[in-house]
Amino acid sequence: MASRRRTFISLLLTVGVVGGSVWLTLWALQSPLAVQRFLVRLVVISLIIFLAILFVRYFSLLWFAFLQLLEKTMQPQRKEVSLPPVSVIVPAYNEGAVLESAIDALLRIDYPTFEIIVVDDGSSDDTLAVAQRWEGQHGGVEVRAFTKANGGKATALNTGIAQARYAFVLCMDADSAIAPDTLREAMPHFGDPSVGAVAGNVKVVNRVNLLTRLQALEYIEGLNMPRRAQGFIAAVNIVPGPVGLFRIEALQEVGGYDNDTFAEDADLTLKLITAGWKIVYEENAIAWTQAPTRVLDLVQQRYRWTRGILQAIRKRKRILVQPFPDFPLWMSGMEMAFEGVLWPVLNVYGHLFFALVALLYGMGELLLYWWILLTLLDLVAALITVAMEEESLSLVPLAVIYRFFFILFLDVTKTFAAVEEAFRLGMEWGKLRRITYREQAGIGGP
Amino acid sequence: MGVIDLLVTIIVVTILVTIALGVMTYIAYKLRLSRRPASVDDEVTGPRFFVLRQPPAAGARSSEGHVTEA
Repeated sequence: MASRRRTFISLLLTVGVVGGSVWLTLWALQSPLAVQRFLVRLVVISLIIFLAILFVRYFSLLWFAFLQLLEKTMQPQRKEVSLPPVSVIVPAYNEGAVLESAIDALLRIDYPTFEIIVVDDGSSDDTLAVAQRWEGQHGGVEVRAFTKANGGKATALNTGIAQARYAFVLCMDADSAIAPDTLREAMPHFGDPSVGAVAGNVKVVNRVNLLTRLQALEYIEGLNMPRRAQGFIAAVNIVPGPVGLFRIEALQEVGGYDNDTFAEDADLTLKLITAGWKIVYEENAIAWTQAPTRVLDLVQQRYRWTRGILQAIRKRKRILVQPFPDFPLWMSGMEMAFEGVLWPVLNVYGHLFFALVALLYGMGELLLYWWILLTLLDLVAALITVAMEEESLSLVPLAVIYRFFFILFLDVTKTFAAVEEAFRLGMEWGKLRRITYREQAGIGGP
Repeated sequence: MGVIDLLVTIIVVTILVTIALGVMTYIAYKLRLSRRPASVDDEVTGPRFFVLRQPPAAGARSSEGHVTEA
C-alpha cells in the first residue's frame, strides 16, 4: 500500500514537472515580441555559457587525469613494497547466482596474506549456503561466512569490518570480480599514513548488448576519468562500492558506514574527507562488475545513485556554502552535487530549450554546430580515456550514441530522482536481478 | 530540404524523442515498482535470524603476516 502511494505521488510529481515545462514553453510562445526577443538573446547566452561550462569541465578533468597518469607512469619503481595483510569483505543479499564466481575470483588474488569474509545480509535465496560451501582454508586463504538479519548493505559491511582480523579491508560487491593484482597494486598507497582509502577502477564485465557496451564507455569516460582527475589531488569523492580499500583506523574514526542513505559509498567517502583523510585512485585495482542489461534495471540503478548522492550531500549541506576552512571537502561536495544532479538537470533542460528554439525561431544551424562540437568533444574524450585505460577502441564510436541518446535518456531519470528527493519521497533499495556468468555467456542457466 | 536542414531535423527529433522516451521509461519504472508484490522487508518485522552465526575461532585483529617484498 505504501509502495502504491509512493508511486502515485511520484507520478504526480512527474506530471507536474512535465506539465510545468510545457506550460513555460507555451507561455514563452504566446508572450509579446519584446519578451520573445529577450528569450532568443537568453538562448544564445545560455548556449555559450553551457558550452563554456562543458569545455571547462572536460578540459580540467582531462588535464588532471592526464597529470595523474603522468605521475603514475613516471613514478620510480620502489625497491621495497609494503604488503600488509588484508581482510576482503563481501556483503551479499540474494547474490546466490553470482557469489560463487565472486569467491572463486577472490581466491585467485595474487597477494601474500589475506582472508575473505562473506556477510550474508539475511538473504532469502541460497546465498548463505553458497558461502558456507566455501568456508575454510583454501591454499592459505581463509574464507569465513557470517549471516545476520537483513539490514542493508551498510550494516553488512559494518559486520564484516567488525569481524576483520587485519588492519586494512577491501570492501566489494558480490556481483563483482576483483582482478588478481588489485591488492598488490593498491596496498602500497597506504605507505603514506595520511591515506585513508584507495578507490579502485570499476569496469563493466558483461558487454553483451548495446546498453551494456554504452555503460562500459560511461564507466570509462564518465566515472573513471573524473575519479582519476580527483586522484591527482588525493580527493576522490566516491570510493566505488565494487572496489574500495580502507584503513580500519580511518573507518573506526568516522564510525564506519551509515545506513541512512542509498549511496553508502559516497556518504562514507565524504565522512573520510571531513576527517582529513586522503583518498587516492588506483587504476590497476580493478573490479569487473555486472551492468544492468535491461533498460528498467538501469533506470532503477541510476535513480538510486542520484537520490543516494543527494542524501549524502543533504547530511552535510553546510559544506556547500562554506568553502573554508575545509576547501577539499567543499570541492568534493560541490563536484558531487554538480556531476550527480545539477549537470544532468541542466543537460535535459538545455537540450529541450535549444531544440524548441531551433524549431520555433529558425536557429537550427546554430543548434547543429553546437551539437557537432559536443559530439567531437565526446569523441575526443572517449578516445583519450579509452587509451588511458588501454581499453578496446571499438568503444570510441559509441560516443556518438552516448552523446546523442544515452546520457540524455538517463539524465531524465536523474532529474525526476532529484525532484523526488527534494520532496523527500520515500524509496526502496530496488534489488537488481542477478544472472550467473553462464547465463551471460549464453550457456543457459537455472 | 538542404543537408543542414535535414541534420537539424534529425537532431531536434532525436532530442525530443529521447526526452519523451526518458519520461515514459521513468513512468514505466514507477508503475513496475507499484505492481511488485510487497518485499520481504515489508513483511518481516523482526530479525529473520535469531542468532548471529559466526564461524569458530575468530582471532584478534592484527598486522600478522605483514610481508615486505623486495
